[in-house]
Amino acid sequence: MDITNAQFPFLSTILLVCIAGLLGILCTPGHRHSMIRWISTLCAGITMVLSAYLFFAYDKVTGGYQFAENIPWVPSMGIQYFNAVDGFSLPMLLLTGIVFFTGVLAMWDLEYRVKEFFGLIVLLVLGVYGMFMSLDLFFIFIWYDVSLFPMYLLIAVWGSTRKEYGAMKLTLYLLAGSALILPALVYIYTASGLNTFNVLALSQSGLFSTDQQKFLFILIYIGFGILAGIWPFHTWSPVGHVAAPTGVSMIHAGVLMKIGAFGVLRVGMFICPEGWQYWAHLMAVLATIGIVYGVFAGLQQTDLKYVIGYSSVSHMGIVGLGLATMTVEGLNGAVFQMFAHGIMTALFFSAVGYIYDHTHTKSIPELGGLTKIMPRATFYFIFAALTGIGVPCLASFWAELTVFISAFRTYPLYGTLAVCALAVSALYMLRVVQRTCYGPKNDKFAHIPDISLTRSIPRMILVSVIVLFGLFPSIMFDIIRTASTTFMNRL
Amino acid sequence: MNWTLFQPELYYFMVVMVFLTVSMLNSVSVKTNYYTALISAVIGVAVCTMSLRVNGTLFYNTYRVDLYSQLFKLMLAVGMFLVISVCNKLKSVDDSRHPEFYLLVATATLAMMMLTSAVHLLTIYICLELSSYSLYILVFLRKDQETGVNTALKYFLTGASASAVMLFGFALVYGKFPSIYLADLVESIPRFIDQPSVSIGMLLMLCGFFFKLGVFPFHFWLPDTYEGSANETTTFIATVSKVAAIAIMIRMVALIGGNSVYLIKVLIGISVITMTLGNLCAIAQQDLKRLLAYSSIAHAGYVLLGILCMSPNGYTGAVFYAVTILLLKFTCFMVVISISKKGESPSVDQLAGLHRRSPLLALALMLALFGLAGIPPTIGFSGKLLIFTAAMNNGYFLLVFIAMVNVVISLYYYLLVLKAAYLKEPVDDIQPLHVPFPQKVLTTALIITIVTIGIFPTYLIDLADAAVKYLM
Repeated sequence: MDITNAQFPFLSTILLVCIAGLLGILCTPGHRHSMIRWISTLCAGITMVLSAYLFFAYDKVTGGYQFAENIPWVPSMGIQYFNAVDGFSLPMLLLTGIVFFTGVLAMWDLEYRVKEFFGLIVLLVLGVYGMFMSLDLFFIFIWYDVSLFPMYLLIAVWGSTRKEYGAMKLTLYLLAGSALILPALVYIYTASGLNTFNVLALSQSGLFSTDQQKFLFILIYIGFGILAGIWPFHTWSPVGHVAAPTGVSMIHAGVLMKIGAFGVLRVGMFICPEGWQYWAHLMAVLATIGIVYGVFAGLQQTDLKYVIGYSSVSHMGIVGLGLATMTVEGLNGAVFQMFAHGIMTALFFSAVGYIYDHTHTKSIPELGGLTKIMPRATFYFIFAALTGIGVPCLASFWAELTVFISAFRTYPLYGTLAVCALAVSALYMLRVVQRTCYGPKNDKFAHIPDISLTRSIPRMILVSVIVLFGLFPSIMFDIIRTASTTFMNRL
Repeated sequence: MNWTLFQPELYYFMVVMVFLTVSMLNSVSVKTNYYTALISAVIGVAVCTMSLRVNGTLFYNTYRVDLYSQLFKLMLAVGMFLVISVCNKLKSVDDSRHPEFYLLVATATLAMMMLTSAVHLLTIYICLELSSYSLYILVFLRKDQETGVNTALKYFLTGASASAVMLFGFALVYGKFPSIYLADLVESIPRFIDQPSVSIGMLLMLCGFFFKLGVFPFHFWLPDTYEGSANETTTFIATVSKVAAIAIMIRMVALIGGNSVYLIKVLIGISVITMTLGNLCAIAQQDLKRLLAYSSIAHAGYVLLGILCMSPNGYTGAVFYAVTILLLKFTCFMVVISISKKGESPSVDQLAGLHRRSPLLALALMLALFGLAGIPPTIGFSGKLLIFTAAMNNGYFLLVFIAMVNVVISLYYYLLVLKAAYLKEPVDDIQPLHVPFPQKVLTTALIITIVTIGIFPTYLIDLADAAVKYLM
């Protein structure tokens, strides 16, 4: 493990910018709304640029862990402040940057308790960034919880539709997940006998017996998997997404659910590869059920946000299926799907958010003919729906394709089921689009203005990212492959 | 005899004397009383800090002064300072009784300080009773006489029975080994630990401390006493008194626990029941102080989890946890005192609108609650991690898992409190809460401390580690 520290601590800079933003917001008087918005936007913008820089500056030829920073934190317990990025975490950092920036812009019009809202959002994203770049179990757990606990207030204060119920359910579910994760992490720490929390040191082979790995992996898988929305622990997710305000739904469905999948990958699969192989079949079964269930549950919904919520369950199922295939392609597809789904969901929620903010309804039967009222806003909605279906030349297409090809090889039955389910999902997505965007228009909403160009900026960014990675998927695949091949070769 | 070893105790004895005189004069104003108490508490912290590194024994080896006891004395001094700092109004205690209030706080603190150093069964008993009796009277000091008498009597009766049980334990052990020096017992007990009289004697001895800490089945007094005493008194019991109880528990178990399988099994059972019971009961509470009382019971269970590991790591965790409880519980009670209008015991709903009435207090409450729930990056998480790591080192996976499930249960009611503070809109008055400037400074300092120790726990862990080395 000869990882040298980077020349310039880019990763810590991202975290420090978030912390500075947080302190800046805390010190600004509560009534100066625009200043608070500008601070958050600035903070989001800088971190987005930094993560994009890291994404493109990463040396794909060398591969491995780069931009490392390693400082002993609590020497007596072997805790290190150890950050580094590899092909798995770079797409996630980029995703976080983009969704954070667009999420802040999407909440620009918020007027109620602005200071607290943006403070909590920045805190949440700080945790997400930290989680994706940390390679120390102690810090991984800390960042994981830092990103979770602002959710309660974010949903309960600024949400809608059964917000208190949704917020409480979400928080308890996710914390129940950490009730499985923490014992597992502490067990890993004590049983290894190395007195270290360093993921790389702990993932060397031969450290844990096969039985230990089986036991640990299932704990970590379920613990983090709750956040990733794996069936049957997904029920918090549609409820939470529906209750949350737009920007929070974007960040939550777009980024936070990825933390769960990433945790399974980084902690579970890295440290307990044998456990992973043992449980892979179970993972595939649960993922397939999630895909099929999400689609059919989505078919029934009359609330726009519930439709997206269940489609998230289904799309995160694809991530799970990809991780379960135990192939390089499967991993590539899963990580790409995490990225693509994050961007897509963010676009989806931001489009629905605009519709809801102005019509004050999310009910599909009440809407209709929106293309005539707000053509630009519906464009984003339809575009997101098409991405979700997996239309070629959009980012999700490549991700889903790769996952399904490798799933067919490893688990033909589940692969077939998943593809069939996705065909049905096309049906319901188009049905939703048809009911809300076309058909007779509801005169009640005729006076509503279309989305202005400046308000369109965050949505346009998301659309262009989807198109960019849809047209040039190799940019993404090349980076992910550096990590996935190394990981699979080690087994 | 080296008197410098005895400095903190001598100092607090002097404070006791000052307030004894003041209480007899009966002509000193409320303000003067408060500032005298505050200044003497500040000097007390300084005195305890200065004598942190002294080492030695006193009084024919019945009294041991080492880093362990001095660290706890410092914690107690800080705790007393914190409690006195929020006594500026002392609404529910009659004005003429203020000197007595400070007098009793000082005697209780003095007794607890001596308790951390006591290594002789009789010394332990005397210190424990001195602190208990001070607390009984403190609880009684209320404007509302009926509640005061009621609560104090309940507290006294349960406390007296626990003491009796403990004395019986002393008697059993003394009957077996005719010595009441812990140092002698250390040598003889491990060899006979599996004999019924010894193990039962040991357990009964611990009962007295179980009572102080509020461990099942000696937890019944806690909710009633918390609810019935003046808010400031409750703060003192919930923070300072708990720290002292943890200190003596660790010392006893470390010295004479001797890795007895039987004792460990009993402690495991008690610990699991205590934390589960505390957390489940807390869910149903409407009264904020009762809720915090049940949460105290749950925390006693976590502390016990660290102690029953009977390993240096476990003791370090428990010492760290004492600091955690001191800071976090104090922060919660500071908010309780601030929102209580006439010194009554506030309900959870009374927190409504706190985020607008005083954003700073609301933030402090949020951090304290998350800390109690063990969510990083607060000091509460570091404490739990240390304890869980120690338990895992002993192979208690299931126990750690149960504790984590408990943490999730506890989060539910902490969130209910948080919901009241951040979401509920107050029914009638929404005028800002008046928080005096010194209290703002104190609150900010607490917030910073809670987060900073959560992020940089190294120094405190090393200190606790070094202190625990003196136990062995």
